[in-house]
Amino acid sequence: MKVKEVPQDDVPDFTEGWLKKGNYALDDKGKYVMVPSKGWVVDEMVNRMAYEEYQAKVEETRKAVLAGKQSPLAYYMELRQLIPKFLGKTAGIATFRVKRHLRPEIFAKLKPDVLDCYAKALAITRKELNTVPRNP
Amino acid sequence: MTTPVTTETLANGKTYTHCTAAHCETGVTSALFFDKGLHLSEPMIFGIGSGLFFGHLPFIKWTGLPITTFRSMPGLVFKKTAKRLGAKVCRKRFRSPQKGMDELRRVIRTGQIAAVTTNVYWLSFFPRRYRFNFSGHNFIVLYENENGFRISDPALMEYTTDCSVYDMERARFARGPMEARGLMYYPMCVNPNPDIRKACIDGMLDTCNQMLKIPIPLFGVKGIRLVARKIIKWPEKLGYVEACRQLAHILRFQEEMGTGGAGFRYMFAAFLQEAAELFESPELNELSNEMTAIGDIWRDFAVVSSRIIKQRKSKKEETFDKAGGLMLICAGREGELFKNLRDVVGKLKA
Repeated sequence: MKVKEVPQDDVPDFTEGWLKKGNYALDDKGKYVMVPSKGWVVDEMVNRMAYEEYQAKVEETRKAVLAGKQSPLAYYMELRQLIPKFLGKTAGIATFRVKRHLRPEIFAKLKPDVLDCYAKALAITRKELNTVPRNP
Repeated sequence: MTTPVTTETLANGKTYTHCTAAHCETGVTSALFFDKGLHLSEPMIFGIGSGLFFGHLPFIKWTGLPITTFRSMPGLVFKKTAKRLGAKVCRKRFRSPQKGMDELRRVIRTGQIAAVTTNVYWLSFFPRRYRFNFSGHNFIVLYENENGFRISDPALMEYTTDCSVYDMERARFARGPMEARGLMYYPMCVNPNPDIRKACIDGMLDTCNQMLKIPIPLFGVKGIRLVARKIIKWPEKLGYVEACRQLAHILRFQEEMGTGGAGFRYMFAAFLQEAAELFESPELNELSNEMTAIGDIWRDFAVVSSRIIKQRKSKKEETFDKAGGLMLICAGREGELFKNLRDVVGKLKA
């Protein structure tokens, strides 16, 4: 790759305007130099795919919670990109219990100290943990 | 070469110069040794620590998809570089977050800068769309201030920044695949006149072995071939949409995570070029050119794949066969290159 071939595409939403990535490229004399790149559309596209997939999953879970199929814990777990195994490890609760707590009827009966554990692990307040946002 | 952007004064009055780099771990390692008075560029560190690799790990999932890595295990580059340069290092993991944070504070209070491995999701200074649950980002902690910690992130920032205490603790002790468990590392003392030629030879030979000799078809050149053949079969096996998803996942590993372009291939070419100067060896220079050419093919692979993904619905022009074919070419040429490199290195004198 030559210096002038280093992609400098405008993708402000992706880089938030300040992020630059270093790319190694050959200068006129055939020496390698580091060239900061403003962004690349290919890069942005694959990231967008993953990001949209994540958001779609969160949204799907949110709807399931509002429909009463899952507990709010499931929503916050998706939001923090966790799975029951790692949520359990973070909160100090066994995985099989976390999986049970994803069911709304069991979640409703949880004691405050268990809820506190989850709230701390998910970096939200206990009050937030009981509901999910009405709008996406 | 890295260019200095901002300077910071450390707890003991020493000056730290922030440099931007292409990749987090090599950039951090380069900066740590720079602080100790050993001036090595990022590609040099990458080569000596034999960071170039290829691995396909279908049994470790990240965001639900298998990991395809273009570099060696996180943490290994620093470890190997330190060993080959004869530096004494301190690498620590912690069970208790409290102890981990206390130890970090103790170390940076003495004016020693320390690198930490963190989970990207919890770092709020990152751009929103980069924040995925991935425990393998390294940066350097400089000192403590009223906002938390002053940090220098060579891979992303052009200047130093602040990170709150809460973010730092969550990021260092996040649970998940490949968890860092608060890993923190810094060199304790560095040999001021290391045998760089010997270190380069060790690094290059190790890279050749990693790419050619691992008897498991998931790693090295064999791994590239395996993934290429898989890609060709994907559209039939998984359906077009799912195949695109998997392909995009590979591209993320190749380009998104600060690789210096083409999954570290350009960075390795830069290393070979520097090594060629060091040994005054025209053969190494030729190999560097070949590596650049291979990097260009990887880049083509990325462009072709992105076209495939874009036309997800219409299925025309570019095909998975073509993308897989490009990857097979990469595998063949890389195989040749590393065999040649092994022969060339055998003739070099330390």
